[in-house]
Amino acid sequence: MSAIRKWFEDRTGISTLIKFALDEPVHGGAKWSYIFGSGLIFLFILQAVTGIIMTAYYSPSATDAWGSVYYLQHKTSFGWFVRGIHHFGSSAMMILAIVHLFQVFIFGAYKKPRELNWISGVILLMVLAGFGLTGYLLPWDQKGYWATQVATNIMGTIPVIGKYIKIIHQGGSDYGNFTITRFYTLHVFLLPISLLSLVFVHLALFRKHGVTPYWKMREETIHKCVDPFWPDQVFKDIVFAIGMYAALAGWVFWQGGAELQAPADPASNYLARPEWYFLFLFQLLKYCQGPFLIVGTVIVPALAIAFLFALPFIDRNPSKWPSKRIPFFCGVFSGLAGVIALTFLAMHHDSQDFHIIKQHEEAEIQAALAVKLAAKGIAPSGGLSIFENDPLILGKKIYDSSCRVCHKVQGEGGDTGPDFTDFGSRGWVAGLLKNPKDARYFKEAALMPPTSLSDETLLDMSEFLLSQSGGLLNPNVERVAKGQELVLNGNCVICHAIGDKELKKLGPNLTTYLSKGWLNEFIKNPAAPKFYGTRNKMPPFDKLTDKEMDALIQYLFSLSKDSLIVSQRQEDVKEKLICFWTTQHKDIDRFWRQILMKG
Amino acid sequence: MENKSRRNFLKIASHALGGTLAAGIAVPVVGLAVHPWMKETVFGTEDFVAIGTLEDYPVGVPKKITITSSKMDAWNVFDGLVMGSVWVVRTGDNSLRVFSVNCPHLGCGVDWGEDVKKFLCPCHEGVFDINGQKLSGPSPRDMYSYETKIENKTILLNYKRMV
Repeated sequence: MSAIRKWFEDRTGISTLIKFALDEPVHGGAKWSYIFGSGLIFLFILQAVTGIIMTAYYSPSATDAWGSVYYLQHKTSFGWFVRGIHHFGSSAMMILAIVHLFQVFIFGAYKKPRELNWISGVILLMVLAGFGLTGYLLPWDQKGYWATQVATNIMGTIPVIGKYIKIIHQGGSDYGNFTITRFYTLHVFLLPISLLSLVFVHLALFRKHGVTPYWKMREETIHKCVDPFWPDQVFKDIVFAIGMYAALAGWVFWQGGAELQAPADPASNYLARPEWYFLFLFQLLKYCQGPFLIVGTVIVPALAIAFLFALPFIDRNPSKWPSKRIPFFCGVFSGLAGVIALTFLAMHHDSQDFHIIKQHEEAEIQAALAVKLAAKGIAPSGGLSIFENDPLILGKKIYDSSCRVCHKVQGEGGDTGPDFTDFGSRGWVAGLLKNPKDARYFKEAALMPPTSLSDETLLDMSEFLLSQSGGLLNPNVERVAKGQELVLNGNCVICHAIGDKELKKLGPNLTTYLSKGWLNEFIKNPAAPKFYGTRNKMPPFDKLTDKEMDALIQYLFSLSKDSLIVSQRQEDVKEKLICFWTTQHKDIDRFWRQILMKG
Repeated sequence: MENKSRRNFLKIASHALGGTLAAGIAVPVVGLAVHPWMKETVFGTEDFVAIGTLEDYPVGVPKKITITSSKMDAWNVFDGLVMGSVWVVRTGDNSLRVFSVNCPHLGCGVDWGEDVKKFLCPCHEGVFDINGQKLSGPSPRDMYSYETKIENKTILLNYKRMV
């Protein structure tokens, strides 16, 4: 053994190097208060290891990024855990870096001759922020996409050069493939290289000047009481590292891994929120409106950073006692208090805002749905295609953009046209027959008079009318027969054609009323003579493709609880969604139960 | 002396804890790294590809058709991928055979000679009858054929398995 070691030592000097690295005297003794710096090194290694293995799964392109992260998260055994460690590890690093900064500040370790040590540390903190910012976008999910938009727009507010800085980071005038490749280059090459070089400088300077002991410690104790770095300090560092990893792993399990939202949709109006450690900046921007925007985006952050850089040169008093540095303590801690207050305000506001809570819920449902749809495979056209290939979702999107202005669903939407809550259900049609002039239906525009027929009779007629489409859930044969009798031999056929698809009468042709074919023709041209003719008020939607029209009709069907095809489909989706949520949590529950039982 | 034994303990404890920590990190990372070894990442989604019904193929008239299928490649699904072509020969009312278009000799595309009612390989003059049996030429064997089955009147072809 020692012969091998000697062989290597003679050729490489490796033992000497290790000895040099570990054999540092810690003046004043090893301390728990020195663990933060090495804790950061550990977290960086952890981020590097988890990050590197994730690059073996990640695909940096606007079409593939989400899918590859989805695969990592949901299709591999440890992907969710590794990604979770990396995701929450970044937060842990941020917290620890701040703690490290404050420990160094409180101990007065930035003072002469350690100015450059402090400055390299401040730059390292900014590099860390850069990591967080660039990494947030890489999954190309809704959250990352929209939050990063804010960040690049902030870059754009820098006077004169902002425009160019923004375009260089985005890789163009808008988000796309080059945004992702550039953020990827920054996140996995440029920032790590910068961080490593800076850490090297930071550590070399630290080795040169040594630790800065507690200010109360007397000079003679510092000289007399010397512990070796190995093992006295290393042991404390390792205990801290293992504690952090355990806490991090526990947190990842508790959270069920890092979140992956639905794929980025440039057409959506997602509410952008940055990662929590940027929330204070986000909140600050709320107070900087109009021409003052630049105060929040550039001036305040630049002043804060300038202050940190200048600190060792302003505070030239060699004494490390806090009582001798009261103005600086006030400055730094009021800065911290401001950041905490702004962060709290941002979180508090979001937790109280009904719209934001609702949007969070919607986003979670979308995310769960995305995961379910992606299991069937994602078309090469990109992550978003999973929704476009799902008719109900595409249909709702078309409805929201085209129909909602005039038609209400569940109290949301315009008032011009009929309310589409329960559209096409037995009750909806019966209500229409009862009084077309009702506020829920055609209001004053209706030509058809209200009727005094009983509700039961109206339901019979509704049953018959809807049964024509073949899509009615559990049609009641008796009611259909009764309704048919009433409709065909009653007053209805005076104004409405039933049976002949092309026949024109005063009112709309009701042959196969509300069937797929009927809706298709109607939506394309409601002003056709067989429908409303000259009395029509609805614009034609003839620009929709077949696929879009199909999706819209499917969505309209889905509004009715009495629709055969869609009711099954919806149950299916619902069931799977519930399954998704419960199994996710069940898995975690089971995991804990196993752990507890073993314990 | 007391310090020395304390430091010895710290050294052992540091190694033990450090090793535990490294193992705790290595397990999930290695577990993730070997994923493609544990699970198929690139695969066809269908074992059997539908190629129409028996009515589509008149008895005794070979028909060349294109096989399309879909493939999963990690997160992506590729639909309608052209996998290649095959010769479909309906041999009877309820039977058919499907041959590879590639000649068993050197893989050239085999044609159906309607005038001579034989499969002809244009490269080296290989000749096969309608049952794919070698009649003349350099081919070492009869034409390759595929496993098929009929379910609900639909013909299903196992494009992965040549017999």
